[in-house]
Amino acid sequence: MALSPFGSRSPAVTVASPNSALRLKAAAAAPQNASASTSTIIRSDPNPERELAEQLNDDIRRKYVKGKKLGEGTYAIVYLGNYRDDPSSLVAIKKIKVNAEYKDGLTMDAIREVKYLQELSHRNIIALHDVFSSKDQNLNLVLEFLPGGDLEMLIKDGDIHYGAADIKAWMGMLARGVWFCHENFVLHRDIKPNNLLIGADGEVKLADFGLARSFADPYLNMTHQVITRWYRPPELLFGARQYSGAVDVWSMGMVFAELLLRVPLLAGMSDLDQITKICEAFGTPTEENWPGVTQLPNYVTDKVVPLQGRDFFLRQFPTAGPVGADLLMSMCVLDPRKRATALQVLQHRWWTTEPRPTNNEDLPRKSGTKKMGDDLARVGGETDEGLFKNAARQLDFGGKK
Amino acid sequence: MAANYWASTQRRHWLFTREKLAEVRDRLRDQDKASHSQFPLPDQRLLNIYFNQQLIKLGKRMSTRQQAIATAQVYLKRFYTKNEIRQTNPYLVLTTAFYLACKMEECPQHIRFVAGEARGLYPEFITPDVAKLGECEFALISEMSSQLIVHHPYRTLSELQNELALSSDEVALAWSVINDHYLTDLPLLHPPHIIAVMAIIVAVVFKPSHPGNFGNSAQSALAGVMRDGGGMGMLAALSDKSGSGPPRIQNLVQWLAESEVDIKAVIECTQELLSLYEVWEQYNEKHCKELIGRMVRTKNLDK
Repeated sequence: MALSPFGSRSPAVTVASPNSALRLKAAAAAPQNASASTSTIIRSDPNPERELAEQLNDDIRRKYVKGKKLGEGTYAIVYLGNYRDDPSSLVAIKKIKVNAEYKDGLTMDAIREVKYLQELSHRNIIALHDVFSSKDQNLNLVLEFLPGGDLEMLIKDGDIHYGAADIKAWMGMLARGVWFCHENFVLHRDIKPNNLLIGADGEVKLADFGLARSFADPYLNMTHQVITRWYRPPELLFGARQYSGAVDVWSMGMVFAELLLRVPLLAGMSDLDQITKICEAFGTPTEENWPGVTQLPNYVTDKVVPLQGRDFFLRQFPTAGPVGADLLMSMCVLDPRKRATALQVLQHRWWTTEPRPTNNEDLPRKSGTKKMGDDLARVGGETDEGLFKNAARQLDFGGKK
Repeated sequence: MAANYWASTQRRHWLFTREKLAEVRDRLRDQDKASHSQFPLPDQRLLNIYFNQQLIKLGKRMSTRQQAIATAQVYLKRFYTKNEIRQTNPYLVLTTAFYLACKMEECPQHIRFVAGEARGLYPEFITPDVAKLGECEFALISEMSSQLIVHHPYRTLSELQNELALSSDEVALAWSVINDHYLTDLPLLHPPHIIAVMAIIVAVVFKPSHPGNFGNSAQSALAGVMRDGGGMGMLAALSDKSGSGPPRIQNLVQWLAESEVDIKAVIECTQELLSLYEVWEQYNEKHCKELIGRMVRTKNLDK
């Protein structure tokens, strides 16, 4: 099955080498008879156009050399790769295992990832260079190679020391990536430290678009079973079916807090426990502080904890400084309508307050390539079951590293 | 709709000029002249009408959104700019386009369910083997270079509804006109906002005197009015900025003049729609079905 590169997506790969053009001509002029295409929909006599399309796909495939395996999940394997004509430029090749015999079609994860990464191109979003199909009829995504691990690694590694300026740099990159998604009407819906990968130059990139979707049309429902629990906002825990970019902003707030504390701020053991922890930390959502909240399907309350004020954030997050605490507070507002938007986050005073964000090259970092494999392999890896009932990817507590 | 149309793969890779589209199709035909003479098929638009009806049938028992049907139609068009229809099993391709479009528009259906529905409708042409559908999905994605997001005119229509103070009848009619434009090549030729503006103009200018339910298509409501010299009247109205028409139309013309929307393109779209409605009168479902059936059976495309 051929993938015809109807123009390529990445500026880095748009130029067809003269070599491939020649091969194309040859293919068009003298179609080899080796058409092994056993496609069911396109059959009958071998025809030059198909040969041509296959040839083009082969050209994309040949552009890359697949190297060692970086990681494997249930539905994807990630390999290290490089451009054939430039062995020093590395890529990650994510091979989506089309489940044997195509029994279930492509998973929503794979579809979503391809769908959004094809259209979104931004410095803080992982780049999709190419898509090609391999001989065994698997979809291969050629992704930007990000050897710097992810934010979760940095947070957990006790040997790494970082400060407010570093956090500001990382948060700035995260906020720009999220803003760009929202600006393009895309909700990411799975922001958490181990989906924030780090490039060789220290740049943070938003990865894993397996749960992403575009904003729904007004009044159309979306699933509330998204976002890993610890980063899930109260409206989703209460079962809201119509929500906005505010869900991603909450997750961003949780990442911010985790960067400051170096442990997850609200590590609930169950959805109910998560709600309890949110209430204990920030206060109980009530009709007063969040009009309409009691109407949400899964709204629960036991004792009412009063809403936390600014003092709480100042006390709890001294490293952020008073302005940083204000920003965090605006991201953790219970009522999604009053929560900051990604744009408001970017416009906050904190970014222009001392200290300045650390330059990329001076950010603390960790080397090693194994982690990206794991991160990407996990993508699309844990979600297939109950695809239509429950798209959420729950945290695996047992298997937590 | 997601992402930015102006930077989209739709605009960069799936927008053709009329000449380019004709060239692409000529090339496909030249490669397989034998099939073309052996298996004549009706006018592309008549085929599109037929395909659209099949998609609607498929979607009937599942709660499918109109937008998914629209996306499926665009997928079919894109696919058939790369592949000669006479070398495919159109029933399998359209079922797959439907299945993929549902996933894409966030109203996913299980593959077994879709395959089951399709098999119920076309027992002759769809094998019980679900894997075929999965395999075809893969082919479809590949042929479309994994560029899957389709921008539709519906959103522009809802956005302009308030600005242009459209009545609910006008919106409903414009909506139906948009549904109809998928039966033509327009989705491959013009950006969605042009289509939306065209639909609004048609709805406002040709609003039938007896408002009511236009159903899925505006054909029955509009064909007559537009044919009866209405088209000329409209072109005149558009070029006449001094304004002699009814105030409703004058306002629209005023808005158009200020909007910098490509009027020429809009007029071209209107003509395309007009000719669709003319061709539509020759539509004969049975005829389409027979021709496609004969082609698929004779060439064993269903195996």
